[in-house]
Amino acid sequence: MTRVTLKEVSKKFGKVVAVDKASIEVDHGEFFTLLGPSGCGKTTTLRIIAGFEIPDEGRVIFDEEDVTFKKPYERGCAMVFQNYALWPHMTVYDNVAYGLKIRKVPKEEIKKRVKEVLDLVGLTGLENRYPLQLSGGQQQRVALARALVIEPKVLLLDEPLSNLDAKLRLRMREEIRKIQRDLNITTIYVTHDQEEAMSISDRVAIMRRGRIVQVGRPSEIYMNPRNLFVATFIGRSTALRGSIEYIQGRRVKMRVNEKLTITGKLAEDYELSVGDKAIAIMHPEDFTLKVEGESNIIEGVVELTMFLGPFTQLRINVGDQNMIAYIDPEYEVKTGTRIRLAIKEEDVIIFPLIGWEEFEVETIT
Amino acid sequence: MIKRSELLKNLKVQMFYLDPVLVTQLAFPTLMLTLFLIAPIATVLLVSLNYNPADIFTDPTYVNFNPRGSPITIRLITFRGREFILIKISGVSLGIIMNSLVNSFIVTICASILGIVVAFVMARYSFPGRTILRVLAMTPLLVTPFINAFVIRKIFDWRDGIISWIIGDVLHLPYRIGIEDLAGVAITQIMTFFPIIYLNVYSSMINIDPSMEEQAENLGAKGLKLFRTVTLPLSLPGLAAGAAIVFIFSLEDVAAPIVFNEKRFMSYHILERFLEATTGQLSPVAATLSLILLILALAAFIGIKKYVTLKQYAMLSRGGRWSPRIRRLRLKGLIVVYLFILPLLLFAAFPQIGVFIYALAENWADPLPYGFTLEHMAKIVEDPLVFRAIVNSLTYSILAIILIVAIGVSSSYVIARARIPATDLLDILVTSPIALPGLVIAVGYFYFFTSIFRGTPLDPITFGPALLLSLAYSVRRLPFTARAVYAGLQQVHIALEEASLNLGASRLKTLVSIVIPLIGINILSGALISFVYCMSETSVGITLGGLKGVGEEHQAPISFIMMDYLERVGGPHIVASLGVLLISIQLLVIVLVNVVFKQKYAYIGV
Ligand SMILES: Nc1ncnc2c1ncn2[C@@H]1O[C@H](COP(=O)(O)OP(=O)(O)OP(=O)(O)O)[C@@H](O)[C@H]1O
Ligand SMILES: [Mg+2]
Repeated sequence: MTRVTLKEVSKKFGKVVAVDKASIEVDHGEFFTLLGPSGCGKTTTLRIIAGFEIPDEGRVIFDEEDVTFKKPYERGCAMVFQNYALWPHMTVYDNVAYGLKIRKVPKEEIKKRVKEVLDLVGLTGLENRYPLQLSGGQQQRVALARALVIEPKVLLLDEPLSNLDAKLRLRMREEIRKIQRDLNITTIYVTHDQEEAMSISDRVAIMRRGRIVQVGRPSEIYMNPRNLFVATFIGRSTALRGSIEYIQGRRVKMRVNEKLTITGKLAEDYELSVGDKAIAIMHPEDFTLKVEGESNIIEGVVELTMFLGPFTQLRINVGDQNMIAYIDPEYEVKTGTRIRLAIKEEDVIIFPLIGWEEFEVETIT
Repeated sequence: MIKRSELLKNLKVQMFYLDPVLVTQLAFPTLMLTLFLIAPIATVLLVSLNYNPADIFTDPTYVNFNPRGSPITIRLITFRGREFILIKISGVSLGIIMNSLVNSFIVTICASILGIVVAFVMARYSFPGRTILRVLAMTPLLVTPFINAFVIRKIFDWRDGIISWIIGDVLHLPYRIGIEDLAGVAITQIMTFFPIIYLNVYSSMINIDPSMEEQAENLGAKGLKLFRTVTLPLSLPGLAAGAAIVFIFSLEDVAAPIVFNEKRFMSYHILERFLEATTGQLSPVAATLSLILLILALAAFIGIKKYVTLKQYAMLSRGGRWSPRIRRLRLKGLIVVYLFILPLLLFAAFPQIGVFIYALAENWADPLPYGFTLEHMAKIVEDPLVFRAIVNSLTYSILAIILIVAIGVSSSYVIARARIPATDLLDILVTSPIALPGLVIAVGYFYFFTSIFRGTPLDPITFGPALLLSLAYSVRRLPFTARAVYAGLQQVHIALEEASLNLGASRLKTLVSIVIPLIGINILSGALISFVYCMSETSVGITLGGLKGVGEEHQAPISFIMMDYLERVGGPHIVASLGVLLISIQLLVIVLVNVVFKQKYAYIGV
């Protein structure tokens, strides 16, 4: 049970700023996730916590102790590597027992603890296999067991599921979460998969270009993205652009074209005035075909339909812009027909129209 | 302006990545190589400063632009009661320095042409007997100091040589042909060294992405044009690496000049000065000539730096990652292969075969060998001088291997893993002995250790050369092990080490229980290859190795005894027997490394 604090940590590799003044506080027993696109500095941050890199600036603190300059082998945190890093010349047993042998734990106790942890991850009976004789999922479990067996202060996981197939990924994710809950270990998890992050974590830190842009509970981040980057990175999003027509507190009305206005809430930390250019970010799954009594009604022509299983994706043209919406697949919608959709005001977040080009917003063109 | 605090912080960051184990691993190789490589070579430079280079370059013994002798003489002779037209090819002398230079150029060019032709045929065509031809092509790389050159002389001797015997006595034609002197040295070196080019070009060729050639064909290039415009240019890195090595080996080769008794080469000249040096004085001419050798060798390497980095020389073939374009030969091609390439390769492999004949024949003074005996082979154990040489070589080699493994593993680990500047420098230092003529190292050792270390166990005059030979071997044969270990480390993902550190193991513990077990095979393979080339080491062995003479308690290694016995009555048979011993060790190691350990065997290094 350890509290992990990063204070204004920065790390450069040559000219590349990998981590830029990152500050986080991870609580006792918390499951904390670093989420961000590839190259945003997640692994580097994790490696700074593990002690494989030392920051150019800033401090790493475990509980009250400053460990910034401690060697990796003095930190007592255990890491699960993306490629598992199992030692091919040792059996499963020896891999798992390694950390205990280093700690000079008596032989009998090593046996007992290895057995317990292998039970925990569901690998009983595979003690004498070599890593190359295991499936990807089993290797993953060995890596986890090897980290857990030393009862680390902090468990660090760097994209531990990215080498598994989709089904196994879902299962392992639940298991990791369950084990973490049971053992109550402070855990820092790295992933670029936002769904994974949202489903597994107590709290998530969204990283971008080495900076931490928002920290919060998954639902908080989903409902109240701090900026356009978070809004578009979390979940799928679609957008409409326009200019502000009316402001009432945090509630704003944006005109998209002569026929269409859309009302939503102004993003936190931003201010807008009437006439400013703005962008409304919405989640495609928030649209509904039941338009009676709703204030936000969007009318457009269906350009393309795509059946995606649990829903049908529509590409809708509203004058000069396109947007995306998901509807119940029970409704049959033909391309070329006109359609009316509604969305709740609280599901529309409006940002000033700055720098939107770089984000992955569906059909923004 | 960097502030003081910035500097201090940088230092702190650097220190973090440097634990005591890494520091030791950095300091030990650096110290060893400074003392046993850089310092001796620097001494060569210092000593040669005492000598006015103008003296040497104006002395016609060294540089002479009026060629002496005629390259070919044809005259009528009466020989053993018959009349013959004697055609003698001997070459012209331009003075010692020029001879070495011109000879090395000729050898490099001829070996390149041969090597490219053979490599192309082997890399691009399949035909019955291809495997046998590949083995034949590599046979000359089996190191057999002196005795292979001795067999080559036997082929080209106009009196009792095999060629003259076939022409004059079998075919009864009135000709006798002899290749001797400078020409003899050149042909010996071409035959010995062309496989180095072959191997390097071959591995370049099989690594060419097949689509490159297909693209060119697609655009209409074929045959010779395809070869000239695509295949050859893409093989240039291999050719450049091979050519540089051949050039250097040719420059420093002493065996061929000794066997052909051709003293007008720099290498022989340095050796002769050494044979007088038992008194403790080595003529400064040796230093000046060494410096010239060194400059030429370095020039060859810097000249090709454009194409290849030092790393690649020692590693050699990477093996094909894709299946290269191999086609069946059609009739015309088959005729060329069987009528031209096969005899050529057989001919080039003959010296090594001849070593066995010499060792096992009762007598081989006449053109054909006579009788079969194991007596010569037995002599290498029975003759106390020879046996002692074997024991000496074994001792020196084992000592050297211990040092090589320690230096090689440490330096490669630092180069592969440490995040500090200057590892590039260490890398160059560790691999450079491949490019440094052994004679230069020998001369450097002599000056350095007889002066500064006079009277210590390192002084070869007082205590004999045993310790220095071990050290020289360890420096010269280091690159093989260092590169093998480096290659092994590149296969070991760094996360495997980090996982161990992360679980609380110290750097040393990680090294011992994770890294070394994972690269054990690489270390072993590298050590074995280094060992083989220690056993057959020539340049330092025949120079420093003889400083205590060849008495009962001599400290000379195998190569020195081989040189010494060459001139004794019945000596060549014993020399050949030693050659057989060396070949056997080499074959054993090749099989171990390639078949048992499944590693690449680096072939170069004479
Ligand atoms: N050892 C290094 N040397 C130089 N640059 C590095 C090094 N490690 C990381 N970087 C750079 O730092 C930046 C952040 O890298 P990092 O590995 O932390 O990203 P990441 O968020 O883990 O990405 P991914 O999701 O692709 O794993 C990248 O631009 C990367 O190229
Ligand atoms: Mg990463």
